[in-house]
Amino acid sequence: MKILKTPKKHLDLFASVLPAFGEVYAPVRRGRGYAFDRPALWSEVHMDYPRTILPPRKLFLPPRELMFHFDPTRGYRSLLEEAATPRVLFGVHAYDIYGLNILDRVFAQGPYRDPYYMARRQNTIIIGVDVDPDEGHFARSMNADFVDKGFDLFLSDLGDHWLILVGTSRGDDIVVKSGSLFEEPSADDFDEYKRRSTSRRAAYRTQVEMGDLPEILEMEYHSQVWEELGAKCLSCGSCSMVCPTCYCFDVADEAALGSRAGSRVRTWDSCLFKTHALVAGGENFRHTRASRIKFRFYHKQRGFVAEYGRPSCVGCGRCAASCPAGIDITTVIKMIRGQADAHGDRTTPASNPAREPVPAAPGAHLVHPTAGV
Amino acid sequence: MTTPRSVLIIDDDPDFAQAVGGLLASSGYEVMTASNGRDGLDLAKKAQPDLILLDVMMTERTEGFFTLQQIRRVPALQHTPVIVVSSIYTDQPVFRVNPDAGWLPASLFLPKPVDPARLLQEAARLIGELAQTKADQRHVGSVTR
Repeated sequence: MKILKTPKKHLDLFASVLPAFGEVYAPVRRGRGYAFDRPALWSEVHMDYPRTILPPRKLFLPPRELMFHFDPTRGYRSLLEEAATPRVLFGVHAYDIYGLNILDRVFAQGPYRDPYYMARRQNTIIIGVDVDPDEGHFARSMNADFVDKGFDLFLSDLGDHWLILVGTSRGDDIVVKSGSLFEEPSADDFDEYKRRSTSRRAAYRTQVEMGDLPEILEMEYHSQVWEELGAKCLSCGSCSMVCPTCYCFDVADEAALGSRAGSRVRTWDSCLFKTHALVAGGENFRHTRASRIKFRFYHKQRGFVAEYGRPSCVGCGRCAASCPAGIDITTVIKMIRGQADAHGDRTTPASNPAREPVPAAPGAHLVHPTAGV
Repeated sequence: MTTPRSVLIIDDDPDFAQAVGGLLASSGYEVMTASNGRDGLDLAKKAQPDLILLDVMMTERTEGFFTLQQIRRVPALQHTPVIVVSSIYTDQPVFRVNPDAGWLPASLFLPKPVDPARLLQEAARLIGELAQTKADQRHVGSVTR
C-alpha cells in the first residue's frame, strides 16, 4: 500500500481536483447536525464532524429510488445509467466504510446482487478520514474503528499534515493527478501515526462486549427485556433510517389513474413499522412492538453473525442519538447480558425473571439477507 | 439588428471587473458582474449569459473551482463557455495541476494578468462556437420533427 502525506493547508487545493473524478459529497453542516452533501465552498466541509445524520448508505440505496419507467407505447426504460454517475464521497469515517463493506456482502456479493447498488458503489470513490470518538461511538467494540478495505484513499490526522493511505489504483489515479500536493512521509510521521492511532483507540469510552452475544441472545429469546423495550419503543423507525447497514426496502409500481404507464419505485422500509411483516390475507407476523424491536436486534446481532460471520452493527451510535424514546443499543446489550436495567444502571443477571426454554432455532427465518424486502 | 452577446464576469476584484468589463463593452458585449461565486451563480441562472469569465481566488482561494461545479450542474448552463481567469498558479506554486489536463470543466484557463487581445479573441471564438452549436441543434430539431 502506498503511503503519502499532504499539509492540511493544501487540502482545499486537493479537493479542487476531485471533481475530475465525480461529483464531490462531503460532510457539511445541516441544521444542528452534519450531512454528506455537495459543498458550495470548501469552508463548508467539516473534517472533524462526529457523525452525519444519515449514513453514506443514502447515496448507494437512496431513500426513494426510481428504478425504471414502463409504458405500453414507449416500452421499458431503465434508470440504471443514472445510478452509474461518478461521485467522490469525501471524509467518510472508518465505521461507515465498514458499513458499506457490510452492504456489499448483501447487495454486491450475495446471491441477489443489486445492479443499482453495484453501479453506485463501483462509480463512487471513497475517501476516508479519522474520527475522534465521542460518548456515542462504540465502533472499537464492533471492530469497525479501522478498515483495511473499502476505501480509495484514507486520511489520518498527523497534526499539521494528513497521512494518506492509498487503497486502490483509483486512489492512486487521484494522487497522480494532484501529485505536487503530496510528499513522502518520514519515519517521524509513522511514529506520530502510531502514537495517535493508539490514543484514538483508547479514546473509545463506550464499550460493549460482543464476544458471545449471539449465544446469549439465543438464551434470552423470551426475555422480559423485549417487552420492556416494546413498551418504550415508538415504532417510528428512526433507528433503521439512520443505520449504516439497515437495508430493508419496499417496492411499488406507481401509475397515474387511467394510465398504463408508470414507474417502479423502491423506498426505505423499517422492521419497526407495523406493516413490515404484514402479508396478504391480513396476517402480521410481528404485530407487537416488542416483537419488532426484538427482530431488529436479532437480525443485526445474531442473524447476521450466522449468515456473514459478524454483526451488522458498526458502532456509529446514530440509532441511540436519533431514538426519541432514548433506547440505546449499548444499554440493550448490557440488559440482555444482565449487566444493566432499562435505565442503563448496573444490575445482576438474576434480575431477569422471564427466562424460558430456548426454542431449537429461534427466528431462523430472520437471517435471510432479503428479510423485509 | 442583432441582440448583443452577454458576458458575466465573476470576480471579487472590482478593478479587474471594471477594466475587463470596459474592454468587453467597448467591443459590443453586454457586461454583467458579480463579486463572488454565489451571486455569480444566481445571476448566471437568471441571465443565462453567452460567456462567463470566472475568477478562482475570491472569498476563498478555491471558490471559483466550486462555483464552476455548481454552474455545470445547472442544465441551462451546462454548455455555456466559461473562461477561468486566475492567478492561482503564481499565487500557489505548489498547485501544479495542469488546467488543460481535462479536470477543470472550463472552456479555457487564462492566467492573470490577462492579455486583452487574447481575451477578446477567445471570447469571440467561444461565443461563436456556442451560437453554431445552438443553430445546429435547431436545425436537427426541425429536421426530425
